Amino acid sequence: MLSTALVVLGLGVAPTTAAAYETEVDATTDAQFYTLRSPYGEPTLRRRRYTQTLGLAVYGIQGDSVPYGPELSFKARMRLDVDFGQRIEERDPNRGAQFGDRFVPGLEQAPLDLMYAYLEGRNYAGGYLGFRLGRQYVIDALGMWAFDGALARLTTPVFLQFEALAGFEERGGLPLSTPRWEGDGVYRGDRTGYDYDRWPMFLEAKKPAPAWGFAIETTGVQFVHGRLSYRKVINRDTVVVAPFADAGQGFRTVGGSRVSSERLGYAVRAEANRLGALNGNVVYDFYVQRVSEYRVGLDWYTTDEITLGAEHEYYLPTFDGDSIFNWFSQQGMSTSTGRATFTPSRRFDVGASGGVRTFRTEGNSGQYALNGGDRSETGTLHDLLADLGGRYRWSDGSTGLRGMLETGARGHRVGADLTTNKNFDEGLYDTLLVLSLYDWSDELRPERGVTSFTYVVGGGFYPLEQTRLGLEWEHSINDLVGQRFRVLATLDVAVLR
Amino acid sequence: MMERERSAALLFVACLVGLLVGVFEKPASAQAPSPSTDLPAAQNPMVHGLAPLPAGKKVPLADRPPGASAGDGGPSPVIFPAQKLTIRFNHKKHKALGISCTTCHDKARASRVSSDSLLPKATRCDACHGSDHRVRGAVRAGSDLIGQCGFCHIGYRETDGQRTLPFSIPPPNLKFNHAVHLERNIDCAQCHGNVENVELATADQLPRMRGCFGCHQMPVPARGTARGECATCHLTERGGMLRSNFASGTLIPPRWLHNAAHGPDWIERHKAVAGADSQFCSNCHTDKYCMDCHDGRVRPLKVHPNDWLNMHPIAARQNNPDCRSCHHEQSFCLGCHQRAGVTMTGPYANFAGRGNFHPPKAIWTDPPRTSAHHAWEAQRNINACVSCHVERDCAICHATARVGGRGIGGGGIIGQGVNPHPTGFRSRCAGALRRNARPCLVCHDPADPKLLDCR
Repeated sequence: MLSTALVVLGLGVAPTTAAAYETEVDATTDAQFYTLRSPYGEPTLRRRRYTQTLGLAVYGIQGDSVPYGPELSFKARMRLDVDFGQRIEERDPNRGAQFGDRFVPGLEQAPLDLMYAYLEGRNYAGGYLGFRLGRQYVIDALGMWAFDGALARLTTPVFLQFEALAGFEERGGLPLSTPRWEGDGVYRGDRTGYDYDRWPMFLEAKKPAPAWGFAIETTGVQFVHGRLSYRKVINRDTVVVAPFADAGQGFRTVGGSRVSSERLGYAVRAEANRLGALNGNVVYDFYVQRVSEYRVGLDWYTTDEITLGAEHEYYLPTFDGDSIFNWFSQQGMSTSTGRATFTPSRRFDVGASGGVRTFRTEGNSGQYALNGGDRSETGTLHDLLADLGGRYRWSDGSTGLRGMLETGARGHRVGADLTTNKNFDEGLYDTLLVLSLYDWSDELRPERGVTSFTYVVGGGFYPLEQTRLGLEWEHSINDLVGQRFRVLATLDVAVLR
Repeated sequence: MMERERSAALLFVACLVGLLVGVFEKPASAQAPSPSTDLPAAQNPMVHGLAPLPAGKKVPLADRPPGASAGDGGPSPVIFPAQKLTIRFNHKKHKALGISCTTCHDKARASRVSSDSLLPKATRCDACHGSDHRVRGAVRAGSDLIGQCGFCHIGYRETDGQRTLPFSIPPPNLKFNHAVHLERNIDCAQCHGNVENVELATADQLPRMRGCFGCHQMPVPARGTARGECATCHLTERGGMLRSNFASGTLIPPRWLHNAAHGPDWIERHKAVAGADSQFCSNCHTDKYCMDCHDGRVRPLKVHPNDWLNMHPIAARQNNPDCRSCHHEQSFCLGCHQRAGVTMTGPYANFAGRGNFHPPKAIWTDPPRTSAHHAWEAQRNINACVSCHVERDCAICHATARVGGRGIGGGGIIGQGVNPHPTGFRSRCAGALRRNARPCLVCHDPADPKLLDCR
């Protein structure tokens, strides 16, 4: 109901008189109810989650629309994510005496974040200039990322476009922000109200982190497309270094500007119309001074129905420049797979892939203690992996099977999901059925291996155009939990003006 | 009175019989003009114009539209919804008689929107076929075989009062300006193939997107109107985003278009396409669409099936899927693990009295480093460690004694920290120290000779 109220509020803000521009207001409401029990039995977390997003988009702000002419639009989305199942002692550090120490730094009951809010211009300066101002996402070889600032795009007549961006990285410790997009490996947030010696390993994140970068991308060429991206982010907060008090019961700190991340990446794909495609990417991390990932993939359009492909990927985990975990990453992992897809008709397709993932270590784990800690030898552990998927679609529904296997020295995971969707009454109602069977084992924790069956039944109803009311029931059955239930209720409302 | 009732009864019976005859009557062929069975098939007009080529022959690739391929099954039925062709028409024959495309399809010259019907009126046929279509409902047949109603109208029956079977060519879900193309001297065949070699032109003679790209790949700044942006031809919604859902289905890219076939393994493959092209996905998808998974708050069943809460530890160690694609480990993962007591450093009450999560300390952390030692796990996939541990957990042993680390000997005053650095670190440490000294100082005292070496 809050969503309805928010939409009404949005409508109040939206113009009601005739205008060249168009406004779109939508709201999504998700309520989730489930229980999570620690593998040790206690504590038990009651998740009573309520998530509300409210989106606003205004198009055609520039006035009359001319084909290929300037376009100005604004898009924004806010999100409220509440967990009513949290206990107050998890958020209040002063309740320890009463309930025991359950305080979790950074935990919020109802964080509100601005997912994105930007003004976007396209086709300015004769079509050569585009821009975005505000909180926005960037997606490229360096991954997904969000920042507050400006991005300008210059398209040239020589099949290239240039992009420059500057602003501040979205960080969890700042208002209306989540830590989702910042560098990983650092436990940080807003320490307001914390004594200096309370949770010293929870670092301060209060100052905006300046970021800038550029990209060069091909444009207008169908058979090849590449994008070179560079990004640099700076940490500025004064933070504790060693999480141990010194002799004077103080903590040493470091401040000033220092690198959070600095990376250069390139991604490319090339296609020969009927023959196949080649794609790949590489990322160099300037802080770690190593190639942190690369991938090369080849697809062969064997026939109109069959595609065969192969891919090799390498990944070395890297982290925020403030993180010590950068220096625990050693050899990384690589994955080689082959794949085949068969699409005999538009209604039916099936795909399968298989390969091996190799984890490398410095030193042979089996011989290390015997050979005096020789790190020159590279140890390898292999996981075999396979995927199988197939779908059949008809006019008002589809059914699909997805199976997977990964097995190696540290355990295995194998299973499949059968998912069926069907609409009724010309889409007035929709239904969902998922049957899922998985088996897994964990060689480091043998007691956590199990075979698990889950089913999900759900349905939706469209009382109005653009409005959907949905309900899902999920039931898992296995020896670890006995029975686990989850209920998801959704309400999506969109109003177009 | 009796006579009147008898007449009514007779009329009722006659109607009933008529109805039954109508129901069980064989369809149109009985009413259609009889073909001359003496003619060889090639000359028999009755076997022509009912299919692209007679006798089920396939149209050669050279005669199909540019961009078509042998097994493509025709153009997208989402763009060109299913047609009902209840007219016999032999394009090949008409072309051989010297009739050009625009003789019949003259409306194409002025058509600027795809919803225009470019079919000729039936009166256009009359001059040659001898028929007279001027008065609807009172159409007069010609005297020859080709002038008979049933010659062209498939399933036509005289008894139906000049009704014909429904015929429909739905407008395409596409923008198209025939006039502009004709003004640029773009021949019909450049989009439709050699229709003059085809008898009945079906949807298969409609353009293929791959064919359009023969011209529509001009770089944006080069301008011209044959631009390659999706919205040049595809219908759009607010903000210029492509409309992808139609009554005829959902539009998905073909595999040759940016290698982006949304096949059954698309969920594993999509990052390669998205990473290389900053704007390709946003032609059809909103920010919200991407973020529902990549920054979502509702578990997507496609990615995290079954009892994911119990299955995810093994998946995280396998790095399949990569947690960091959607989660920040030191907040999303760690926060929940601290609440559930699955951490080394965290709220004490949550893990007090629990058993070991990892193998016993003597195996997992103490020297000598056996094959089950945590060091190997950390090297295999440090991400799995980062989702539960804060740096303090590592620094306890790996930090040097002078900054409080316990060191190999334990107790915080004996021995040196355990070196976790990878081979070759010495050659990189100066650069790292210069860019950000903070992680160095977590484990090393500023006066540590090892740190000074790096300076």
